Amino acid sequence: MAKNKDFTTTSADGTVLYHMAPKKKMRLTLSKRKALSGWLLVLPFVIGLIFVYGPILFSSLRAVFYSVEVKLTGIEYYFVGIGNIKWAFQDDLYFVDSLVNGFKSLLIQVPAIIIFSLFMAIILNQKMRGRAAFRAIFFLPVILSIGIIDTIDTNAQLTMAAITGGIDDGTGALTEGANSFVSMMDLNNLFANVQIGGGFMEIAMGLVNDIFNVVSRSGVQMLIFLSGLQSISPAIYESCQIDGASAWETFWKVTLPMISPMILVNSIYTLIDAFTASSNKVINHIFINIGGNSNPINSMYEYVDPATGETIHKLFSDNSLRTTEMWIYVVFISLLVVVVALLMKAFVFYQKRD
Amino acid sequence: MDAPKIKKESKNKIRVDFERAPLWERVKGKYFSMKFVKDVVYKIFRLVLLVGVCFVILYPYISKIADSFKIFPDFQDVTVIYISTNPTLEQYKYIITENDYFLALLNTFLVSASTAFVQTLVCALIGYGLAKFKFRGRNLLFAIVVLTMMLPQDLIRLPMQNMFCRFDTEHPIGILINKLFGTQVRFGVGNSETWVKFSGFIPHYLLSITGFGFRNGLFIFLLRQFFTGVPDELEESAYMDGCTAFRTFFQIIIPIAIPMLITVFIFSFSWQWTDDFYINTFWTSAHWTGDNSIPLLSSGNFVTKFPSQLTSMYGGSDKVVGWDAYVNAVSGTSTILIALPLIIAFIFLQNKIVQGIERSGIVG
Repeated sequence: MAKNKDFTTTSADGTVLYHMAPKKKMRLTLSKRKALSGWLLVLPFVIGLIFVYGPILFSSLRAVFYSVEVKLTGIEYYFVGIGNIKWAFQDDLYFVDSLVNGFKSLLIQVPAIIIFSLFMAIILNQKMRGRAAFRAIFFLPVILSIGIIDTIDTNAQLTMAAITGGIDDGTGALTEGANSFVSMMDLNNLFANVQIGGGFMEIAMGLVNDIFNVVSRSGVQMLIFLSGLQSISPAIYESCQIDGASAWETFWKVTLPMISPMILVNSIYTLIDAFTASSNKVINHIFINIGGNSNPINSMYEYVDPATGETIHKLFSDNSLRTTEMWIYVVFISLLVVVVALLMKAFVFYQKRD
Repeated sequence: MDAPKIKKESKNKIRVDFERAPLWERVKGKYFSMKFVKDVVYKIFRLVLLVGVCFVILYPYISKIADSFKIFPDFQDVTVIYISTNPTLEQYKYIITENDYFLALLNTFLVSASTAFVQTLVCALIGYGLAKFKFRGRNLLFAIVVLTMMLPQDLIRLPMQNMFCRFDTEHPIGILINKLFGTQVRFGVGNSETWVKFSGFIPHYLLSITGFGFRNGLFIFLLRQFFTGVPDELEESAYMDGCTAFRTFFQIIIPIAIPMLITVFIFSFSWQWTDDFYINTFWTSAHWTGDNSIPLLSSGNFVTKFPSQLTSMYGGSDKVVGWDAYVNAVSGTSTILIALPLIIAFIFLQNKIVQGIERSGIVG
C-alpha cells in the first residue's frame, strides 16, 4: 500500500483501493481566519457589486457600443461598434469645444479653490472672536447647496437670466461693484498696454464672476486644511520664531511643506467634486444639447436585421450618445486625476514619524 | 529706581509693588507703535474679508427670506428691493397647507434617518474590512470604491432606472424568477399596481445596504482612513480574549469611531434629505405621479409644487410682468421650508462634524 499525493491509496499492483482526503483541520490559520472575516465584512459590497452595481455599470458601458432604444414593449439594442464614439467627435458640433472649455475652467477653478480654501483656513486658524460661527457658515453650502435646493436655485437662475439677462447667484452686488470698478479703471486697456494679454484678464474676470461657486465649493477643503494646520506642532513655529524667521518665510518653509499632503488630497477631491457636480457645464451640455433643437441627431447608422436580413437605417439613440460622451469625459477626467496625483506626489512632503 | 516693595499680607501670601511707568508713557508704548497699527489694520482687513465671504455665502438665503414675505404686487413694483410693502406669511401658509408639508416632512425624516442609519453601518463595516484585514482582492475592491466616488450620477441614472423598472427582462435574477415562477418582478417607476407604491423603497434600500447609495464611496473612504489609524493592539488584545471579528467591531471599534460615525451619519442624513436624484429615479417621475407616489420634501410633486391658491389669488400667468420672479420667490420659500430643519440641526451639530473630520485621519 502506498499513499499518493492525490489522496488515493493504491495496492502494490497499482489498483486504486480508495480515495480519501486526509482529515481536514477544522481550525484555520490566523491569517486565513482574518482573511475570511475581512471577506465577510465586505460581503455586502461584493454582493452589491455583482448583483446591483455591476449590471448597472455593464449596461451603461454597453450603451457605448450599442444603440439603446427604450420602448414601452422593452429595450432594444443594436450593435453600432464605435459609431457612437465617432458621432461624439465628428458630428456633435459642441462636444469637443465643451470638453476643452470644461478642462480650461477646471484648470482655473481647482487652483482657485485650493488657494482660497488654504487662505481662509489659515485665517480661521488664528484665534479670534466668532471663529466657530464663521467656520459654520463656510461649511453651510456643503450641507445645503446640493440636491433639490441646488436644482431649484439653478432653475430660478435660469429664469432670472432669461428675464434680466444676468444671473443672480449672490454675486449680483459684488459683480456690479466689480464691473463698475473695472469699467472705471478700464483694466482691459491697461492690460492691453502692458501686453500681459487678454487671456489673463479673461481668467481674472471669470474668477471674479465665479466667486460664489468658488466660495460655496470650498467648505470641505477648508475643513481639511484647517485640521491639517492644527496638526502642525507649535514647537516648529516656536523654533522658527527664535531663529528669527518672518511670517512669510515660516509660511513657505514650514506651513506649506507640512500641509502639502492635504493639498494633494484636496486637489483630487476638488477635481472629483467639480466633475460630479450638477453644475458641471460639460455634463449639462451632454444632457441638454443632445437631441435638443440646437444639436439635432442627423446621423444614421446601418443595421442588419438578423431575422429578415435586410439593412435598416436608423437614427442614433440619443441616450446612447449621451452615455458615450459621458464615458469619454470620465476617461479624460480619470487621466487628469492620475496626472495631477503623480505631479503633486513629486512635491508632497511627508513628515517622518517615529 | 527703588527696589520693589514686598509686603507680607498673610501667612502664605505676599504682595509686590513695582513702581509703574506713568499712564501716558504706558499708553504711548502700547498704542503708538508700528506693531499695533499693523495689528489693527490686519484685524480690520481680516474681519472685512470674513464678513464679505460670509455675505457671499448667505446672500442667496437672505434674498430668499426677504422674498418669502412678499406679495405678488411687490414684484411689479421696482421700488421694492428687500422689504415688502405688505409683509405676509401667505407663501408659507399655502405651501404648508396645499402641498402636504408636514406629511412630507415626516416621510422625509423617516426615509433620511433610516437611510443614513443603514448607510453608516454598512459603510463602517466595509471600511473596517478594507482597512484592517488582508485578503485577496482587497486593493481591487478599494479601487472600485474610489471608482464609484468618481462616476457622476447621471451616467448610471438611465441604466439604473431600466434595471429596476424592467427587472424581469433586464436583470439576470429577474429573468430567472420570470422563467421559474412566471411572475414579473418590477420595482418603482412606470408600474401601476398598488404594491408598487412602496416598491421604490426596494432599489433605494438595496443600494444603501450594499454600500452603493449616494456618495457612499466617500463614506467608505473616510471610514477606511479612520480605521487605518486605529492601533492594531486594541483588536489583537480582543482576539486574544477570544472575540470574533464582528464582536470586536461592535464592542471595541464602534465606540472609538463614534465621532466619525456621527459625521458620516450627518452627511448621509442631510444629503438624503435634499436628494432629488434617487427620489426622482425610483419614487416619483413623470410616469408615476398622483396617488401612487409618496410625499417627500424633495420630490417634484410636493413641496416644490406651485400652490394653486396663489395662482387663483393673483390670477397670474407667464405673460404678466413679474410673475416669473414671483414663481421663483415661491420656490425659494419652499427651499427655506426644506432647508430649515436641516439648518436648525446643523447649528447644534456643526461642532461634531468638524470634530469627526479632524479625527478622521485624512490629515496626516
